[in-house]
Amino acid sequence: MPLDVAPVVRSYETQRTLNPPGIPALAPMPTGETDDTRRICEQFGEDIVAAGLHNGNQVVLVEPGQLKALATFLRDEPDLKYETLIDVTSVDRSRLPLDGEARFQTVYQFRSYSRNQHLTVIADCGTDPGDNGEIPHIDSLTGVYRGAEWPEREVYDLMGIRFDGHPDLRRILMPKNWPNHPLQKQAPLGGEEVPFTFTWDDPEFETLGSQILPAESTVPDLPPGMSRQNMVINMGPHHPSTHGVLRLVVEMDGERIVSIDPDLGFLHSGFEKTGENKRYKDFVYYTDRMDYLSAMSNNLGYCLTIEHMLGLEIPERAQVIRVIMAEMQRIASHLFWLATHVLDVSGTGMSLLMYATRERERILDLFEMACGARLTVSYIRIGGVWQDLPDAFVSELKDFLRVMPQKISEYEAMVTEAPLWQERLTGIGHISGDDALSMGLTGPMLRGSGIDWDLRRDRPYSGYEAYEFEVPTSDSGDCYGRFKIRLEEMRQSVRILEQAVDNLPSGLYKSNNRKVALPPRAELDVSMEALIHHFKLMTEGFHVAPGYFYHGIENSKGELGFFVYSDGSAKPYRLHVHGPSFNNLYAIDHISRGEMLSDVVTNIGSIDIVLGEVDR
Amino acid sequence: MGLEEKVPEGILTTSLDSVINWGRANSTWPLLFGLACCAMEMIATGTARHDIARYGSELFRASPRQADLMIVSGRVSNKMAPVIKRIYDQMLAPKWVIAMGICASAGGPFNNYAIIQGVDKIIPVDVYVPGCPPRPESLLYAMDLLRAKQRSESVGEWRKVEEPLAVDEIMPLGA
Ligand code: SF4
Repeated sequence: MPLDVAPVVRSYETQRTLNPPGIPALAPMPTGETDDTRRICEQFGEDIVAAGLHNGNQVVLVEPGQLKALATFLRDEPDLKYETLIDVTSVDRSRLPLDGEARFQTVYQFRSYSRNQHLTVIADCGTDPGDNGEIPHIDSLTGVYRGAEWPEREVYDLMGIRFDGHPDLRRILMPKNWPNHPLQKQAPLGGEEVPFTFTWDDPEFETLGSQILPAESTVPDLPPGMSRQNMVINMGPHHPSTHGVLRLVVEMDGERIVSIDPDLGFLHSGFEKTGENKRYKDFVYYTDRMDYLSAMSNNLGYCLTIEHMLGLEIPERAQVIRVIMAEMQRIASHLFWLATHVLDVSGTGMSLLMYATRERERILDLFEMACGARLTVSYIRIGGVWQDLPDAFVSELKDFLRVMPQKISEYEAMVTEAPLWQERLTGIGHISGDDALSMGLTGPMLRGSGIDWDLRRDRPYSGYEAYEFEVPTSDSGDCYGRFKIRLEEMRQSVRILEQAVDNLPSGLYKSNNRKVALPPRAELDVSMEALIHHFKLMTEGFHVAPGYFYHGIENSKGELGFFVYSDGSAKPYRLHVHGPSFNNLYAIDHISRGEMLSDVVTNIGSIDIVLGEVDR
Repeated sequence: MGLEEKVPEGILTTSLDSVINWGRANSTWPLLFGLACCAMEMIATGTARHDIARYGSELFRASPRQADLMIVSGRVSNKMAPVIKRIYDQMLAPKWVIAMGICASAGGPFNNYAIIQGVDKIIPVDVYVPGCPPRPESLLYAMDLLRAKQRSESVGEWRKVEEPLAVDEIMPLGA
């Protein structure tokens, strides 16, 4: 019997949330204009449906037929120079009052690093008749930006939009025999009814622990483009150095790699669909579990997006606490990267793992002090942070900051100059700056190829403009350059942390806006109003005005972005996560070609992936 | 029986069960196999502070053939389920399974289309560890429970002859 994968419809999914009249609503059109939107309108005239600013982002709505021409124009026009396509996603608007408008829209995020501009482009999808209903389709941008390949495959897989002209449109996350496209609104959330009324004579208990279903493997087939003339090696999904459940199909000619086809989705957990069924504040807890090595940064990225849509002011103290947490998390994540990278490359070098986790444990202890959890912290909440820092925190942190730089030097002494280490890393996994841009790589992968860009410095959030730090870059474009960058980033994080603890202001640790942030526990005992606000927030949540917004932050791995489309209700209508590991992993094929199998392991470590975020 | 009086000094008598179980319980080698967030805590358990070596389990083996214990550390997706089943089948008996974290135990926060609601739907589980993620101490406690179970088992139980799988069941050919 094959594993029953068809999702079940649960009764409570059909219940409506309490919505005021006029909701759900479509997002309004952008208003106003900027230099870039004016330039685009001049060029495309009638083909631009609307252009302007929306929620502070530049937005252009374009006719689908002109999408590719627009993308080419954005890339090549000297006054625009949008070098990178950061993200592709889509919205299924079938639950909104459409009034004859197209059901599916694709949403693109373009970024110009040289001009420090961000542009959102939205296009309606046309439809083709298909066997079961109409199939939405739109032009693929893979010919303009290479990096569009995987995001478009993801949109196809999860939303069912076909990209015309895409070289390799296969499912990327779901099993290839999956019955539906899960992010379409009519696809059920699935899962199981939670049994709240178990008694010991329930028949379920009889089989508990022994319910063995056969789980049939699908027959592996050769990825397109690979030849049986060459040797094809399967790596993963259970492999010690793929950092989780990644599967790589490697085509080899003798000792040299011809191509790699990564097979993702072994950890696909349906974050986006789940998020669309949760209230805004309830998704914070899920963000921890995406990139589980940088839970704090994930919290921060999500909260900033929602706060921006709400127009919420965050108190000074909360901002600084957030920076402290995000930077500590960056160090912790880099420490773990260093430990596993050395372990992977050497195969046996456990000592650095032990040393690096020693320092990481200290950071986790500090997290535990602040919020009681080590890994899945959920400390940064919408409106501020969960609770104030305990008294001993600052002195403990200072203590840690005193020893940390010396420890980083210790690690450096262990590996940086070691000839074996240099031999395994120098010149391996090389990617040029132009390729990195066109593939949409971010973070150390981008800086390692000589592009001087850091969102903390160039598009500051959470008050990062107040800190002094350097952004390390390297022109070498190889694993060794990226290794040096990450080590230096740890030092810079220590520097930011030192400035932050010294200037930690007093005051509120979360917003006083009781419509969004929960009142402090102590107030509930004395204030009826606080109790009402608490009840309202816990049962209904808060509403976000109709509209959409993309916001990216600098995670330890690259740009972590959230795209939220609100229909005015208390749940996000569409929630998309742009994970840096996903885009960076796309480069593995490019950077490993012509190298040896053992270098693939180096490259995976050097890209620094977390599968929870790649697969989401 | 008074047998002890007959044997020369320096020789202990025991039952086969207890001596084999003593060995098994003190050198249970886990499979090097991480799924999601819980795997980070599993690694933390393996490092210096929590030191799983005290249990004789510091040797995480990458090959299922050499491992006795599968710690299912994270959520099991529909795509991963057949793989986990295959790896479990590749492990040699005696073998045990710890479902680490609420996801592996019952699906946890991911009650949706992608995640199997508990790994016990595909493989038998010996110890369930609650938590999201369980702290390293919880995992060590689970190891304690597992050791108690291992000590109470009889060697014979694991020697039941299993029907060998047909070749095409192991490796489907064609297509
Ligand atoms: S139980 Fe929690 S920590 Fe463990 S895999 Fe599931 S979500 Fe992650």
